[in-house]
This record gives sequence, C-alpha cells and structure tokens, in this order.
Amino acid sequence: MGSITTEAKVGLFILIGMLLLGYMTMQVGQRGVGIKKGYNVDVVFDNVAGLNKYSSVQIAGVEVGRVEDILLKDGKALVRLRITPSVTLEKDVSAAIKTRGVLGDKYIEITPGTRGMAALEPGEQIRNVERQADIDRLLNQISAIADDVKTVSGTLSNVLGGQAGQDSIGGLLENMQALTRNINSLVVSNEATIRSMLLNAQELTNNLNRVVVQNDDKVGEVIENLRGASREMEKTFASFSQIADEVNRGEGTIGQLMKDNTTITNLNKTLASLQEVSDKINQGKGTLGKLVNDEETVNNLNQSLSGINRYVTKAEQFRTFLGYRGEYLWDKSNFKSYLDIKIQPKQDQFYLLGLVSDPRGRLTVRDYTPTGNVTTRTEEWDKSGLLFNVQIGKRFRNVVLRGGILESTGGFGMDYMALNDRLKLTFEAFDFSSDRNAHLKGYADVQLFKYLYLTGGWDDFISNRGNSSGFVGFSIRFEDDDLKYLLTSTPIPK
Amino acid sequence: MKPFSASLDYVGRTVMHYVEEMGRIMTLFFSILFWMMRPPLKARNIFKQMEFVGVKSIFVVVLTGLFTGMVMTLQGYHGFRLFGAETMVGSTVALGMTRELGPVLTSLMVTARAGSAMAAELGTMRVTEQIDALYVMAANPIKHLIVPRVIASVLMVPLLTVVANFVGIAGSYFVGVNLLNINEGDFINNIYKMLELNDIYSGLVKAAFFGLVLSVVGCYKGFNTTGGAEGVGRATTQAVVISSITILVSDYFLTAIMF
Repeated sequence: MGSITTEAKVGLFILIGMLLLGYMTMQVGQRGVGIKKGYNVDVVFDNVAGLNKYSSVQIAGVEVGRVEDILLKDGKALVRLRITPSVTLEKDVSAAIKTRGVLGDKYIEITPGTRGMAALEPGEQIRNVERQADIDRLLNQISAIADDVKTVSGTLSNVLGGQAGQDSIGGLLENMQALTRNINSLVVSNEATIRSMLLNAQELTNNLNRVVVQNDDKVGEVIENLRGASREMEKTFASFSQIADEVNRGEGTIGQLMKDNTTITNLNKTLASLQEVSDKINQGKGTLGKLVNDEETVNNLNQSLSGINRYVTKAEQFRTFLGYRGEYLWDKSNFKSYLDIKIQPKQDQFYLLGLVSDPRGRLTVRDYTPTGNVTTRTEEWDKSGLLFNVQIGKRFRNVVLRGGILESTGGFGMDYMALNDRLKLTFEAFDFSSDRNAHLKGYADVQLFKYLYLTGGWDDFISNRGNSSGFVGFSIRFEDDDLKYLLTSTPIPK
Repeated sequence: MKPFSASLDYVGRTVMHYVEEMGRIMTLFFSILFWMMRPPLKARNIFKQMEFVGVKSIFVVVLTGLFTGMVMTLQGYHGFRLFGAETMVGSTVALGMTRELGPVLTSLMVTARAGSAMAAELGTMRVTEQIDALYVMAANPIKHLIVPRVIASVLMVPLLTVVANFVGIAGSYFVGVNLLNINEGDFINNIYKMLELNDIYSGLVKAAFFGLVLSVVGCYKGFNTTGGAEGVGRATTQAVVISSITILVSDYFLTAIMF
C-alpha cells in the first residue's frame, strides 16, 4: 500500500469538516423549511409585548408559520405572519396571542374558521382578533372602579360624617316626627267632615244602581240585534257551499274545466313527453344527450383544463437567469469571461448553458498515426476559440451538485450556499486527462448588491502546466422574464 | 531622587517595548498580506502546513471538544435540575460550544500544538542562519516560510472548530440522554429551538480570526528570535503566552461586536 499524500490527507479532512458543517447547518436550518416559501398574512393587535420576530404561529398546537415582522401602524402593532403554503386559512379565522411555559414565551394561536369558506389571500389581514387577558389592563380597570367607589363613599362620609351631618340627620328625624304628629291631629280635628264624605259616596252608588235598573229593556234590544246578524251570516255560508257543490258536479265553466277528463289526459301527455325527453337526454340519445352523457366530453374538458393549468404553472415556475462573470487572473494578467443562461424549471433543479472566453484559448489535440505506427500529437491553442458550458444541476437544501460539460470538457461542480444564498462557495473539477492534472477551481461569490457579486478564488490550482492562478472579479446575475416566455414557446401576455 | 527617576525610566522603557512589539507584529502582518498577493504561491507548501496545523491536530481537538461537551452537560444538569429544566442542558451546551468554547478551545489547542512549533521551527532557522541564507538566495522568507503557515491556519482552525462543535454536542447528547436519562426528544428539540445558523457562522468567523492571530504571533516570535537555543525556548514560550492571551481577550471583543 502506497503512502497517502499530504494533499489527500488535507482533502479528506476538508471533506469531513465540510460534511459536518453541512450536516449541522442543515439540521439547524431545518426548522422553518417550507415556511420560507409560505405566504404572508397580517394581523393587528393592540399590544404585542413579549412577542418576537420568528415567534411561532400555531393552529391547535401545530406550528404552521412564524412571525416575520412586527411594525407599528397607527399606534397599534401590525404583525406580519408567514404561513406554510400547505395550510389555508379561512377568511373568518381569529388570532390571539398566547403564553406558553414557565418563562412566558409568547406565540400566536390561530383558531380555524368555518370550513368551506373562502381562503385568505396572501397579504390579506385577519379580521378577528381575540383581546388577550392583559393583567395590567385588568388591574388598571379594577383600580379605576375602586377610585369611583372611593369618591362615592368619600362624598357620603362628607355629607353624613362630622357634626353638621349628625345635626342635619337629627333635624330630619325631628321633622318627620312633627309631620306624623300633625297628620294625626288633622284627622282628629276633621273627624266630622270625613264622616259626611263617606255618606256622600254611599249615596252616589245608590244613584248609579237606579240608572242601570231603569234601562234594562234597552240592553235586551241590543242583544236581539246581534242575534239577527249572526243568522244572516249563516245564510251566506250556505250559498257558498252550494257553489262548491256545483263545481264538484261539473256545472259551469270552472266545473267543466275541473271535471273534464280530457284536460287531465292532456296534462298527463305533456308530462309524459317531458319525461321522455329527459330520459333520452339521460340515455345519451340526440345531440344534447350525447353532449351531456358522453364521458369523453367530460374527459376532454378535464384534460384540456388540466393541460392549460399545467402550462400556466409551468410557465410560472419556470425561471431563467442571465449571468456575466469576469475574472482577472493576476498571474496571467488576463481576463476570463463567462456568459451563462440558467434555466430553472423547478425550484431545485436547473440547466446551465454558457460560453467561456479563456485568454489561453481552446486547445485542440490531434493524434495522427501514419502507417509507420508512430503517433504524432499536435496541440493547437486557438486564442479566439470559445469554450462551452452545458450543465445540469440539482439543489439539496444548501448544497448544489452539478455536472456536465465545463469549459468544453467533462466535469462536475459543487456549490455550498450560506447566509441566505448571499455567499456561495464553489468547487469545480473538470478536464480529466491521463497526461495532466485535472483542472480544479475553487472560489467564493459574495453578493454585494442585488445583482452584483464579488468573486475571488484560485483557478486550476493543481495544474502541472503552470496554469495555476488566483483571481478576483465580479459577476452580474439577474432574472429575465422575457427570455422565460420565449423559452416556453408561446408568448403569454403578462 | 535617583531611584524615582530610575523606576520611571523602567516603566517607560517597558511600555515602549510592548508598543514597539505590537507595531512590529502589525508590520509583519501587512507584509504577509503583501506577499500573499504576489504570485506564485506554492500549493505544495500550503498543503504541507495544512496537514501539520489541521490534520495532525484532529485528535487533540476531538478529545478537547468531546470532554468539554460532556463535562458541561454533567455540570449543567445539576444546576438545571434545581428548577426542573434538565432538557435545556443540550441547548446550553450547543450554544456555548458553537459560540465560544469551540473556537476558543480549538485555537488554544492549535496554539499549543502548532503555534509553538512554528515559533520553534522559525526560531531554530533564525539562530542557525538558515533565514539569512534564504535572503542570500534572493528568496523572501516571509513569502516562503510565513505565508503558507498563515494561510493554512486561517483555513484549518475554522474546520477544526466545526469538528470540535460537532463532537462536543455529540458528547453532550451521549452524557445527557444515555447517562443522565434526559428525554431525548426534548433535548434535541431544545437544541434546534435555541441554536441559529448565525451562532455557527459567527463561531467560525472567530475561529478564522484566532487562526490568524496564533500563526502571525507564532511566526513573528520565531522570525525574530535571538540568542541561540535559549532564545528559541524563550520565543516558543512567549509565542504561546501572547497568542493565548490575545485569543482570550479578543474573544470578548469579537463577542461584543457580534451579538
């Protein structure tokens, strides 16, 4: 067994270290996966004391999102939530701030709304907010009530307490005593008058009685009249009954209409033919029936709908990025340029097409074996030649693996994305050949502004042809919508 | 009056000595930066130093990380049990390891192993006049001797820290879950709840800085050795002491800036 080279040992160690780092960041970054892609919903609370950014949002104790931002709006707290895309919230859900654990961590509990109700659109606001039982507020209110009670009792004590209060109550009682005494004396002194009053009242009732007795006959007459009226009513009802009988027997116009059998038959016929028509439709006879009953119609409709749907979502998912990248190789004092199109049909996979202008040019190797069995090899550097990049790639959380044609030779690459994709560490290996070392390249990209990246690294660092060079440079990357619709073959108006 | 002025003189000279030394370290640092930019860098030299600083320190760092994680779990458990929060032990250890102990202990171990060796190696070369020989051969010793060591340390100490963090948390898990019977799910979940990606990354930034400190100080001390074998010994000791103190002190300021 040959001895392991220094490079191999270091490489193995770096690999192990990177794997451990990747594992830890993935494990730690795992929470909130899915939530990142979710949609925003706003809630307004009176008071969010204790609630933090990234606090949990739960339904029935299951985490469905996180607090993305807390803003002040018109003296109230506007809380922006990010909800997992797989969870839909009905329009009448209600939100409340709840407390959990001994340490009093706050989270937002969402109570589901009515099933089947329209869902909240991204960016909408949750209308129902449960006021939290705020101990501070409760104590404030109780203390306000206590203050009121205190003023009342204070006034009372002002009125009643003290010598003045006692005196006035004493006076009050004395007055009352005098009043009852006066009433008593009034009754006693007017005894005769009261007695005559009672006598008058008795006389009045006697008179009334007499009036009623005298008019007895007239009352009887009124009752008689009433009886007559009721007799007339009876007659009217009898004639109504006669008319009904006539109709029943088929006499008169209405009677004929009701009693004639032909009417009924006609009606029956009409209903029967209606039934027939609907049966036919049901059985799939006739044009209408075919249209309605044919499974194919439904299938066709379904297919075309889902086709349209798929097309639209594909076009929506489809993203294309254009990129330019310039590297200044300081050992060579030369500029190496890359122009790339990255087509990303799905979130986690992409195709990369690109052109590379390498100052070294393109190497063409020709083996020429004439009859003498002596192979002559000619190597030609075409300075103006362009190199090609054709790669496929897939992303696993923070790690992007890609492979294909790198700078016109077979190879593969690996990117590690950190700091929310603002930092990209890249390792590429290509140009594997028996007569020279593979072309290895490592570099880091840092996002400076939205589209501008700073880059630096080491190109071809194990080269045995004196090609090794460090470089610094910049790259511009942006998303292109027009190109995307061009690529999905049909222009869709936006 | 004479003893008074003599003691003032002594204090002044000592202060000036340290200020000068700091200045010289910074000058060396800038010339390292300068030579780092000059091609060509020999990949082979850097790999050799990477192996020495990184690969050969794995065993020490793994042991340090493992036992730190384990002992913190054991101590934390007794404290947290007082108010029934044993499940928080894991997250405490994880936070402590990733933010502070991982980078600091790793770089202290690397200082002791590799920083001292750098000082001794360069010191020996200095006193045996090999460095002067390099000058004679028109090869810049900073570029050939120091730059590879600094690059290797800056790259390797963060990687060793990753290993220490992982092993420390694994050790904590072993002690907590297997020996102290803390609920496994709560233990793990609390780690995920408390630990942020930023904790890990900031620890690695610290580690890279410490790697820079220990290699620059070690090389400076070795490079400026005087006085034969005894001088080499002194240089080594001073390199370890100064690096360790600088690491511990700068850790406080880095923490204050980062969190």
